[in-house]
Amino acid sequence: MAETKEKSLSDEKPKPRVRPIVRLGIFLISHSFLVSVVCCTAGVLALFLLPVLAKNTYISENALMPGSASPMLSNQHVSDGNRLVKDLTNPNSKSSETGIESHKIIAQYMLDLGAEVSFHKFHPQMNQFHPLHFFSSPVSGKIQENYSCSSYGINTVGIIRAPRGDGKEAIVLVTPYNALKSGFGEALSLGIAYSVFSLLTQVTWLAKDIIWLVADSQYGEYAAVAAWLREYQTPKFSSLSTPNAEMCPDVNNLFELKGHSISGSKFSNSFRRAGTMAAALVLKVRDQNEQFEDTISIYAEASNGQMPNLDLINVVNYLAVHRQGLRVNVEKLWPLLNSSWLKSLGEIFESLAKVAKSLYPKWKFGIPATEYVEGTATLASSLYYQALGVPTGPHGAFRDYQVDAITLEISPKFSLDKVWRNDILLRGGRLIEGVIRSVNNLLEKFHQSFFLYLLTSPSKFVSVGVYMIAFALLIAPLPMVAASLYVDANSSSNCSKGDSSTPSAITDTDEHGIAIRSWRWLNSAKLVFIVHLWGAIVSLLPYFISQIPDCSPTTSFMIWVLLSILSLLTLNSVLASPLACAKATQEKEWALVKSVTISSVFIGLGLMSVINFATAEIGALLMVPMCLLARPLKLDVRAGTLRSFCRLICNLVLGHIAFPPAAFFLLKGMLDGFGNANVGDFWMWVESLWAWNSATYLFIGMVQLPCWVLCVSILFHTC
Amino acid sequence: METFINPKSLFHLLLLPCLLLYSSIAYNSSPVEAAMHTNNWAVLVCTSRFWFNYRHMANTLSLYRTVKRLGIPDERIILMLADDMACNTRNKYPAQVFNNENHRLNLYGDNVEVDYRGYEVTVENFLRVLTGRHETAVPRSKRLLSDEGSHILLYMTGHGGDEFLKFQDSEELQSHDLADAVKQMKEKHRFKELLIMVDTCQAATLFNQLQSPGVLAIGSSMKGENSYSHHLDSDVGVSVVDRFTYYTLAFFERLNIYDNASLSSLFSSYNPSLLMSTAYYRKDLYKRRLEEVPVTNFFGSVMETIHTDAAYKALSRRNSGRFEDEMSLDQSVHHIKRRMLIKVNDGDEIHDINPEGEEGASKCPWSTFRKKFQKAENVDSLLNYGLVAMIPLLVISTWLVQ
Repeated sequence: MAETKEKSLSDEKPKPRVRPIVRLGIFLISHSFLVSVVCCTAGVLALFLLPVLAKNTYISENALMPGSASPMLSNQHVSDGNRLVKDLTNPNSKSSETGIESHKIIAQYMLDLGAEVSFHKFHPQMNQFHPLHFFSSPVSGKIQENYSCSSYGINTVGIIRAPRGDGKEAIVLVTPYNALKSGFGEALSLGIAYSVFSLLTQVTWLAKDIIWLVADSQYGEYAAVAAWLREYQTPKFSSLSTPNAEMCPDVNNLFELKGHSISGSKFSNSFRRAGTMAAALVLKVRDQNEQFEDTISIYAEASNGQMPNLDLINVVNYLAVHRQGLRVNVEKLWPLLNSSWLKSLGEIFESLAKVAKSLYPKWKFGIPATEYVEGTATLASSLYYQALGVPTGPHGAFRDYQVDAITLEISPKFSLDKVWRNDILLRGGRLIEGVIRSVNNLLEKFHQSFFLYLLTSPSKFVSVGVYMIAFALLIAPLPMVAASLYVDANSSSNCSKGDSSTPSAITDTDEHGIAIRSWRWLNSAKLVFIVHLWGAIVSLLPYFISQIPDCSPTTSFMIWVLLSILSLLTLNSVLASPLACAKATQEKEWALVKSVTISSVFIGLGLMSVINFATAEIGALLMVPMCLLARPLKLDVRAGTLRSFCRLICNLVLGHIAFPPAAFFLLKGMLDGFGNANVGDFWMWVESLWAWNSATYLFIGMVQLPCWVLCVSILFHTC
Repeated sequence: METFINPKSLFHLLLLPCLLLYSSIAYNSSPVEAAMHTNNWAVLVCTSRFWFNYRHMANTLSLYRTVKRLGIPDERIILMLADDMACNTRNKYPAQVFNNENHRLNLYGDNVEVDYRGYEVTVENFLRVLTGRHETAVPRSKRLLSDEGSHILLYMTGHGGDEFLKFQDSEELQSHDLADAVKQMKEKHRFKELLIMVDTCQAATLFNQLQSPGVLAIGSSMKGENSYSHHLDSDVGVSVVDRFTYYTLAFFERLNIYDNASLSSLFSSYNPSLLMSTAYYRKDLYKRRLEEVPVTNFFGSVMETIHTDAAYKALSRRNSGRFEDEMSLDQSVHHIKRRMLIKVNDGDEIHDINPEGEEGASKCPWSTFRKKFQKAENVDSLLNYGLVAMIPLLVISTWLVQ
């Protein structure tokens, strides 16, 4: 008897050995409110701390050795470059309608140096939405049918073979040039490139071939470079019958002329190639400038927020600052520079750092407030352009083939005298020469330094290991809140059904009821799934809308909105009709919907952070507070306390901000002013996103929009 | 077993017991230290590849030039260069290597014999050179054929760390490996004195495990210190020489083959503020006083001359030494007998340098055996000559008959 008693006792009080990690999980879930408040605040704070935590850049690859060789570019080369600039700006060369004359001049100059020269004709490909080719590389062997002889571009390509090299690698120098309406800046950039090119034909230290691409930018700089790269990387073996640019008389004329005038030289009609590309530099000179000193701007963002290796930026920055005395710029969000709240935040950080230093002298992490503001503006622009997923220049075309490339835009302090022009030719040329010599020393692809980073100044960066912390903190509360909501929804319904009976005494029928109830979340999951399906349909709609001819952006946008609403209603009535009755029966239904929504947002943000971190970070800033705060408005109105009133206001504000078009207009208004905002702008913006195959478009359509709809449905839940 | 029954092996088998007897006598009577400094060798190793390590090759070539100038002949220098900077496409001056930005001296001029180049420079090959365990196909010019009277200079440069030296960007030589190789060399009487000079980061740590007597070691830096390059040649675009080697060369530039500068004057010439690291030398294994050892003992080929009355003692020793070399080549053919034969040779070697009294006695049976042995080898040729001589006889006889 005693034994049985003991047994029953032990049955009643089992001592479960819960593992510490499980206990910790349970603890976090039970305090999910506190945890989410702390984590979100810490996440936002960490984001604002990033400029303080930024490290100085350093050249990671030993082989690069920038600046170890003294520049060889002399005044002789500069005067060569000057000659080309004069010839190009000469009004006689512009007489031709197609600008063929200037191409001929450039080709002739290249040939005189002993380089291999060829022309590359291309037809500009219109950017079109291919829903199924989203992440595929822009490789397309297909040739468009509707070629017309009136629209083609001519790239002029010059190649120097390394005299003792193995011809396996190449460095590319690109100068966009529009022969029809070239400004003085473009001619100057050609002059710089030519002076470097003329030097490189003489040197003995080349290990990689040099390709100089004069990209015909009359159909856009990117299109010309992308067309040339496509031809370079994926040779077309098209049959002769396909309509080709060679059939156009004008082009034939060009080649005949060339062949005639310089027979037996290194000119060739066929497409010329060199080795795999180690790096590419796009060189531009800005036409007018108000700056007081010569500056050089670096553009690095390629499609989907991909960046070139940090070493390439480091080399350019090092050579420009320490060798040529140029000021280096990276993009900034200018409106942020004048914001007073940012300045005061910087001052707070600065004073905090001072206090920390006085406590323990080895803690040195403070930066001056002005530097902080600049760093934040640069960081914000870095985040913004990466999040857009649209390349910031022709260098983006190279990144699609895993070639590290950047655009350098030289903006000289403007004056017209000859001394100044020679000076900028000399310094710009020496910079390019230094970068080429440095990359020439490279033995392998760029691989030592970072690919995932955000710049806070040309010489400071935040690496992936640091900026991920801010994001992780921001999304950490999501799974906990989802779990706690799920537990709450289940237990509260238990209590209401179990009446006065204690939960420990559960009968068989109750257990059955629990089994049913524990599967109740499937209803909510179905709703979430339907909304996401709708999101996918909405993302596909622009493809059909863009087929409608003669449609202004505003009307397209309106059609899109109408079709979206229509499809949502149809889907809801067809698929979700059983849900409506289920909704009526379950009073805590909204909690379950919120729980599943939060889970799906967590998954979506997690996936997006792998594809494009910046998009995920900005998306998380918008969506995480909205998801966490969402609660039926009716409940808050009913409660009537100050707290619920605050929550109501927050919900309403967030509900507006997180709507993608609203967020877009808000951002645009902040950057450009609200005066010229137009409904059609959003359509244009979206169009540019899908034209550039930006993953941000998919994120907005399939994560953010469904999340917003679900949150709004929770807000207006009838309970 | 049939292979064993040839005259040579039979002869060796017979020879063995007598020689063992002699060798035991020799061991008892003469200590090994009695060996004199008779020759100089240098092993110069550059272990790193790639264009940006230009200076390591320049270091090694500079030292090569110096020891050659001070009298070590090319056939006694083993030069290992892990990469070919002279023909690198990035070299502005094709087929030339400089160690100074004034470009006055082309290190890669005429008469540079590189023994191990490119991917041949591995830890395995390096250890094989030191210990003398080569494959049969390796030519003599690539072997370190030193003996117990040799002074060896071992110079290494490259990238190193705590107790290791990187080879070729893929392998490492550890201090244990080096110590083990040196120990084997000592056991095999491959050197009398060994000077190890290392120019890498944390070079001193490479000597930690050395135990063999007669080894002197100097490194460019202590543990935790880097070795820095001396200057950058902005024309070529790389650093061309390391500090430690630069100042070593500067010391030797003032010397010629007749100078009497001592090792201690070399070691004290290193100024830590100029090197930006502390040169460290380990001399606890080395018996002689550094003040009395001329640097040309290692970096040149200058050795003590001893006046003797009779000219032939030294000569006979040289002869026997050469014969020993031939024997050692033969060894590799008889794989099974190798171990025994090595013993035989050791015994032989040792009794060769015996004091005079025993030398005469030991020489007699040896030379008689050798004569017999040569006769046995000549039987075949004798037969052939005989046959050839028969032909005119045959011709004459047939002519007479007709």
